Amino acid sequence: MALTGLEIYKHLPKTNCKKCGFPTCLAFAMALAGKKTSLDKCPDITEEAKLALESASQPPMATVTMGVGENQVEVGGETVLFRHEKTFYHPCAIGITLSDSLEKEKIIERIEKVNKLKFERVGMFLQVNLIAISNESNNPDKFCDAVKSATEKSNLPLILISNNPQALEAGLKICSERKPLIYSAKEDNREAMVDLAKKYSCPLVIYGKNLEELDSLSQKVVASGVKDVVLDPGTRSLGGSVQDFTQLRRLALKRGYRPFGYPVITFVNGSDPYQEVSMAATFVAKYANIVVLDRIEPEEILPLVTLRQNIYTDPQKPIMVEPKLYEVGTPNENSPLLVTTNFSLTFFTVQPEIEASKVPSYLLIVEAEGLSVLTAWAAEKFTPEGIAEAMKKAEVEKKLSHKKIIIPGYVAVMKAKLEDESGWEVLVGPKEGSGIPKYLKGTWQ
Amino acid sequence: MEKCKIIFYPWKKEVTVPSGTDLLTAAIRAGVNIYNSCGGEGVCGRCKVIVRKGEVITEPTGRLSAKEKKKGYVLACRTTCKGRMEIEVPPESRLEGLEILTEEAKAKRLVGLYTPAEEVEKGPEVALERVFTHGPLSTKLYLEPSPPTLEDNVGDLERVYREIRKGREIPIMQMGLANIKKLSKLLRDSSWKVTATLGNRNETTEVVLIEPGDTTNKNYGVAVDVGTTTIVAYLVNLRERQVLGAKACYNPQVDFGEDVISRIIFAQEKDRLEKLHHVVIDAINNLILGMVMEHNLTLNDINGVACAGNTTMIHLLLRVPPEYLRKEPYVSTAGFMPVIRAAEVGIKINPRGLLCCIPGVSSYVGGDITAGVLASGLDDLSTPGLFIDLGTNGEVVLGNKDWLVCCSTSAGPCFEGGGIKWGIRAMKGAIQRVEINPSKDKVNLCTIGKGKPKGICGAGLVDCVAELMKSGRLNRAGKLISESSKRIREGEDGWEFLLVESKKSLVDQDIVITETDIKNLIHSKGAIYSGTEVLLKRVGLSFQDLEQVFVAGGLGTALDVEKAIMIGLLPDLPPEKFTFIGNSAIAGTRMCLLSHEAMRKAEKIAGKMTYVDLSTEPEFMNNYTASLFLPHTDINLFPSVKKLIG
Amino acid sequence: MEKATEKWASKVNQLIIGATQKEGGTRNSVIKVGGATTLPFLHFEGVIPNSPVIAMEVWDMEPPDWPAVLKEPFGDVLGDPVEWAKKCVNEYGADFLCLRLASTHPDTKNNSPEEAATTVKKVLEVVSVPLMIIGCNQAEKDTEVIPAVSEAARGENCLVGIAVEANYKTITAACQSDGHSIIAESPIDINLAKQLNILISDMSFPPEKIIMHPATGALGYGLEYTYSIMERSRLAALQGDKMMSMPMVNFVGQEVWRAKEAKASEQEVPEWGPIASRGPLWEVTTAVSYLQAGADILVMCHPKAIDSVKKVIEELMKKE
Ligand code: SF4
Ligand code: FES
Repeated sequence: MALTGLEIYKHLPKTNCKKCGFPTCLAFAMALAGKKTSLDKCPDITEEAKLALESASQPPMATVTMGVGENQVEVGGETVLFRHEKTFYHPCAIGITLSDSLEKEKIIERIEKVNKLKFERVGMFLQVNLIAISNESNNPDKFCDAVKSATEKSNLPLILISNNPQALEAGLKICSERKPLIYSAKEDNREAMVDLAKKYSCPLVIYGKNLEELDSLSQKVVASGVKDVVLDPGTRSLGGSVQDFTQLRRLALKRGYRPFGYPVITFVNGSDPYQEVSMAATFVAKYANIVVLDRIEPEEILPLVTLRQNIYTDPQKPIMVEPKLYEVGTPNENSPLLVTTNFSLTFFTVQPEIEASKVPSYLLIVEAEGLSVLTAWAAEKFTPEGIAEAMKKAEVEKKLSHKKIIIPGYVAVMKAKLEDESGWEVLVGPKEGSGIPKYLKGTWQ
Repeated sequence: MEKCKIIFYPWKKEVTVPSGTDLLTAAIRAGVNIYNSCGGEGVCGRCKVIVRKGEVITEPTGRLSAKEKKKGYVLACRTTCKGRMEIEVPPESRLEGLEILTEEAKAKRLVGLYTPAEEVEKGPEVALERVFTHGPLSTKLYLEPSPPTLEDNVGDLERVYREIRKGREIPIMQMGLANIKKLSKLLRDSSWKVTATLGNRNETTEVVLIEPGDTTNKNYGVAVDVGTTTIVAYLVNLRERQVLGAKACYNPQVDFGEDVISRIIFAQEKDRLEKLHHVVIDAINNLILGMVMEHNLTLNDINGVACAGNTTMIHLLLRVPPEYLRKEPYVSTAGFMPVIRAAEVGIKINPRGLLCCIPGVSSYVGGDITAGVLASGLDDLSTPGLFIDLGTNGEVVLGNKDWLVCCSTSAGPCFEGGGIKWGIRAMKGAIQRVEINPSKDKVNLCTIGKGKPKGICGAGLVDCVAELMKSGRLNRAGKLISESSKRIREGEDGWEFLLVESKKSLVDQDIVITETDIKNLIHSKGAIYSGTEVLLKRVGLSFQDLEQVFVAGGLGTALDVEKAIMIGLLPDLPPEKFTFIGNSAIAGTRMCLLSHEAMRKAEKIAGKMTYVDLSTEPEFMNNYTASLFLPHTDINLFPSVKKLIG
Repeated sequence: MEKATEKWASKVNQLIIGATQKEGGTRNSVIKVGGATTLPFLHFEGVIPNSPVIAMEVWDMEPPDWPAVLKEPFGDVLGDPVEWAKKCVNEYGADFLCLRLASTHPDTKNNSPEEAATTVKKVLEVVSVPLMIIGCNQAEKDTEVIPAVSEAARGENCLVGIAVEANYKTITAACQSDGHSIIAESPIDINLAKQLNILISDMSFPPEKIIMHPATGALGYGLEYTYSIMERSRLAALQGDKMMSMPMVNFVGQEVWRAKEAKASEQEVPEWGPIASRGPLWEVTTAVSYLQAGADILVMCHPKAIDSVKKVIEELMKKE
């Protein structure tokens, strides 16, 4: 269980010597509790305290790495059940299956299609992360061919799927330095798989057809010395899987149950694209760390990678709206132009007030790191220079026939400077959003 | 250039300025202090004056009602003068108490341009008066060193040191060259009977002054709390540990911006740091001079000044550029300012007298809070306690003898009357108790000084909102329920509640509480409550773990705890857990002035206090919005209020 | 290994929409929502008496901004709410409709409250499924329109909205006197949501007849904010917060069909795949995500998407 700042503080030297880079021991303890620093930064800590604190800070769920270099994928390491409690750390990896029973050209075609599954959305780069090669042919040579093609044609990390240790070993010989994920250790082939994982030092999936089986297998595999483990609890109905995944996550995080303290992988295939995407989406939300699917059309993958990005966004970052020129109602060239910061709460207060005024307006949202007007101004993040620049960027002069801009009452002091900066007439609006309707209906006109 | 002469009433103060000067500037020149919260931008509408005679050019404004315009009201900052004119400053625009100026005060006004000092109560002695060993910032010792002989031939300086060290543990001592040059002659002229003034200067003890004869009965010091809005000073007899007098005035920097951020920004431009520095030094000098004269002392008798203030105030006081305080990552030039000679910054006391500043914690938690904690004794508790300063910055400190955490909640000026339509400081004529009789729809009031009301102070506002809630005139979102009372009406600023009819008020206008006022109060109380919640959560404690809650600030002594709980300003704890300690900053500063030990303790407090920046606390925003309700979105946090309002 | 089961102190309110003849209305069926004693679809630790439901959108005018893909399934009934409603029920098997009175918006046709009331009456006549009725989402106009339509639907136990802070008093009073349930909406903030619930309940409106709308964000357009608010609301409900125990609704269709991903043509964004399935998939993914966050009612548009999400719900309601 995670310790609170005070609990950690009790173990520290309490000298406030500042050697750790924090002003006080308590500040250091609070940073430690928030996982923002590490224990070794305090040079004066006693061995005893170290021991006590280290065991408490051991992560409840291991982080597993696949691949190398810039396409390397990390999964797991989660610490909470709900994203609002802190954040989810390692985005669920999305993999695409590749059967070795396909014709060579088809294999290459598919790999190339997977390579193209990259999207840019609001400045973020979204893509699939893994290729899961399955030994459906049951033929080690064909498996090797597919692995070879994948390593040649794609930089994505691989999952090697086979029930046959020989086939897997042949595949591993080709690509082990790219650290693929081995799928999978089952009851009957456990030892061979463990040997492979150790020999090639690659992460290993443990498959149990239900939680009980997974539990005992996990204990055995971990006891035999494999540390990088991923769990597959088998497939059942969507409802059944959601419940099992919840159990796995809860047992790991809330009960500190070690055998389940690993990331979870799942394979989905649905009767049609809608069902398959729905299943994958459900698992992105509820507790899979790797989702592998057969579909590779962009319209199927785009919603999934977008959802993943949404769910894994850090909720503790200030909520911001996109800085740009917004239209409220249908403004024309005579409409007023108001300006404020990109703090979402500010935006969501101001925008409805303008709407309520029934005066169609332009609302210019300026980048201010998601701070409210006063804070942003105080910290010099909402400045006349910044506003003038945003005005230029939004080409307000082309949209309006007048040259007047309304600033929030709280920053009345920047009036003169902004007039110099922009060459526009600056009007001081009300301080509070609630004053906007009256202002727009009265003073403005 | 054309000049024009302006007379300001009711003081009949005259000033001649170039025509085209705005009235606010002219008023400042004339030494007339007018509210100007927005710094003369025409936004706040606080600088209303009445043109009695003369021609003006005034900009149109929405800040004046039609009625006012008819009466000749204009905004001083938006109005320029032409020719000769007479201006009346109505009571609600005066930045002063209505105290009648004594002759003496008038005389002092001529010395500096700024506000005269008003007498203030010495303040409630802090409930837990902490006892520290007596060891003031400056000590006087009467010495009779034996004259040198051929055998005992150590130098005069060493001889004096030897005498001082008799029975005292003083490892490091020093004396300035100026004193040494005069030393030999002085010792002999005074037949080896001298008084040495020792100053505690950081880790060393300085022999600040050597005087002939015994002057040990003349050892005084001044404790100053440099607040953003108010400056308070105590004259202290350092030998007898007695407070002789207390005076306060507005911080004249108010003219250049109401909050610290505006002043930092103001200071960034050429020559303006100088200006801010000078006006505050002037004001302090005035306060000191006033008290010195009243007690028939001379400035030479004042041997030390101890100052507390928020970090910005201390930077400005010492003329250290405050610019980086407001820029990420928000660091100060120094938290622990060294002890310096007061004369170095222009404070007029004994030219060799010392100035020490109580150390601060961070850019946003200053020495005033360190001093407050020192005075409250929070750092001596064995179980966790809380210290809340109900001021503009709304600092909160949590902790006990082992650890302390603090934050600044930026509560806003509403506890001091800022941002409230009829808000004023807790001064004479301020409404501070409100009672609503729901069946008769009547309001009973109590004002400070018992006279006719001219506005409402923080405590009165808290009272009023609690009463409105209790009597079913306000819903939990802070909206007035119009059907519930005839006193609720739509005014020029939206819905308002009539507190005092014009005929009963000192200002000849209806005094009202508007929905915006209520909203401002809700924001302030929400900031303090949620800031406290975050601090508690940060260390893993809850309100129930608190043994004691110290409430400090200008309205502390007059605050009704139950009403403060009712609106969700203070946590719902048994009333006996709360202690009001008034202006704790000045109390703590006085302790430091009188005791070296207390000063060391203050340093320790500042050194171990951990600052939590609420703006980087993800939970703060959520807790804050939850607290923007009366008393709180989660009524279960306020069981006693739940019982009351059902 | 022992199962990790939580013991929750309370449950989500259960609410019925629609009234049959027996209950004083004219519906053939009713819709039940809420009542769960656990988090979404965790059958192992509680009861989920009612599965989430989908309300199909019907407008009282031709939607000005719908893309062709979305208009296509409705063909020529788009301008006619009566035919549109019939088509939803008869052809697409809708068991719950959401009638959106968009024509009353001052920026569209600015239709009168009386006209809106007539539409409501007509729709109630031709279909016998329960009805959700919402105004034009302009707080001020809704205060005129909702009382009229609420009255027109009196006794039918509809779900009426949308009440926001600016107009909740009028809308609550209307629902109160005509026996409807109410939708209370607040801008993605859990505290504001609760505060509105309190304000409405303080008017002695029964809290069990409130449905919360935490302001829906489409996938890629702020979905995560709503998602987390809903998770937190659901947790609060289960922990016994009576003012957060209301079932939740998401206006999925309304948001999704404004998104670029659902609307942009293939010429514009060839790399995003064919528009015919792109939009419906966007709607499905958004809806499915909200199911996991605790949605009880999803208001949707595209028949294909609705069909798919119904199947997903069926799957999720399976215990094994
Ligand atoms: S280095 Fe260790 S002892 Fe020093 S302040 Fe940091 S935590 Fe405290
Ligand atoms: S209006 Fe603010 S100073 Fe004049």
